[in-house]
Amino acid sequence: MIVQTLVDGLIAGTMIGLGAIGITLTYSILRFANFAHGELISWGAYAALVASTALGTIAAPLSQPIEPFSFGWSLPLALLIAMLATGLLALFVDTLLFGRLRARGGAVIILVMAGFGAALTMRSLLEFLFTTKPAYFTDTLQIAMKLGLGARATPDQILSLAVGAAVVMGVHVLLTRTAMGRAMRAVSENPQLASIAGIDVRRVIRFVWLLGAALACLAGVMAGLIVQIRPHMGHDLLLPLFAAAILGGIGSVPGAMIAGLIVGLAEALSVQFIGAEWRAATAFAILVAVLLLRPQGLFGRPA
Amino acid sequence: MGPAVTGPALATQGLVAGYERDLPIVRGIDLAVQPGELVVVLGPNGAGKSTFVKAIAGVVPMHEGRVFLGGADITSVPAHEKLGRGLAFVPQTENIFATLTIAENLQLAADILPRPARAERIRAMYAMFPDLASRPGLRAGQLSGGQRQMLAVARALAVGPSVLILDEPSAGLSPRIAGEVFATLRAINKTGVTIILVEQNVKAALSIAHRGIILVEGRIRHEGEAAKLAGDPLLGELFLGGHKTARVAS
Repeated sequence: MIVQTLVDGLIAGTMIGLGAIGITLTYSILRFANFAHGELISWGAYAALVASTALGTIAAPLSQPIEPFSFGWSLPLALLIAMLATGLLALFVDTLLFGRLRARGGAVIILVMAGFGAALTMRSLLEFLFTTKPAYFTDTLQIAMKLGLGARATPDQILSLAVGAAVVMGVHVLLTRTAMGRAMRAVSENPQLASIAGIDVRRVIRFVWLLGAALACLAGVMAGLIVQIRPHMGHDLLLPLFAAAILGGIGSVPGAMIAGLIVGLAEALSVQFIGAEWRAATAFAILVAVLLLRPQGLFGRPA
Repeated sequence: MGPAVTGPALATQGLVAGYERDLPIVRGIDLAVQPGELVVVLGPNGAGKSTFVKAIAGVVPMHEGRVFLGGADITSVPAHEKLGRGLAFVPQTENIFATLTIAENLQLAADILPRPARAERIRAMYAMFPDLASRPGLRAGQLSGGQRQMLAVARALAVGPSVLILDEPSAGLSPRIAGEVFATLRAINKTGVTIILVEQNVKAALSIAHRGIILVEGRIRHEGEAAKLAGDPLLGELFLGGHKTARVAS
């Protein structure tokens, strides 16, 4: 039983970790907590659903499940389209809202409040477009595979874990080994010096939105694949996402992923040993404990 | 090093700058710095020295006037494009990326160069600053004050600029380390890089400069050859402040 709980926690933690990477990047580079990030997860999932349905309609064979998974080629293709679309949505919101406030030298609290407003608008729009009724990428039933020690996981869940691990490594390499990654870290530390050093800070900010939104979309598609798609799915993940971003240390990509797994495991264990109604409180307790005991998080630098 | 220039390497015309339009700190400066020249900008505290060079670099708003680099008008060029055009600026503080390694600081600068030229420029910087070459993987935040200044200068030089502007590079350094910084700047200048240096360390700065200008209340009040300026009694009086400064300055 405990092994199964750990497996469930790791799977949930992968989704939290992917979302938290986007939060930690936007927080460290744009310097505000974007509470609309959860909505990028929901919009990403719905964008993939629309694209997947459209692809399946255009070419029916694309909907045929790829063994042993529950989905056909339409979903991976739709994921790529949706990641781009979610990135463009994030850029649109930035141009329309956050960018204008930054240009006016708006205080952080104004940006945070604007984020709340954007989140409410985006969530309501999803409800208007798709209703609150849950949607699914596929209706194919999957049989969970035996993993040993009494634990089971579906092929979709195992794939999600593998994709999560690969994406974390990819983003880590991007940050540490590429010119854009160096530029992102430089802007995160000192935007003015970055500008003097020849970095186009606005270009870096655009890239961060695209990357953060694309990862949010991926997290949304995983959540939609493993659980279901709902307009509130991103909003419901917001607290665990922030708990993971802060526990991992703002700006640390591996930290966000590891902390995401920790939060996912803690939530799963709390469901097992305390009660399902305490699941959300677990993330909140972690958040408060980190802020009190180690505000810089596990891998962050002290303020 | 940098691109060939005709006329002054860097010139300002009627430069007015400050954080707020209504309260200009720099109030109309005309300056022409010739290629290969090392000019030191002196003046009492609050004279507008740092604001002047920051405005040239594009990090303090410029309200009036024009800036020319090698004859080209760069007044409206964004700050991040100036380095690529050959104008490098080293701020007084927070002039390195402390969370990046030494190698990453240099690589970051070289990233704006064409790919084939990057490795060669970084090698050239390590050759010029061997202290940095010995531990490229060290986080820059762990360097001493003098080493940080060297890294900041190396980062600025990595792109091969024609003009290098430094804002008080000796601030907070021991006399010995400050002497090393000045010797390095002189060596850099001898390679053909035009240097504009804001300094409080008057004697040391004038000892390596060709020319000095003295700012008072945002305007040039005195200028001349560095050697002559060093022995000029006006200089001491200007730095004493109070009524003497006002009298001499007027």
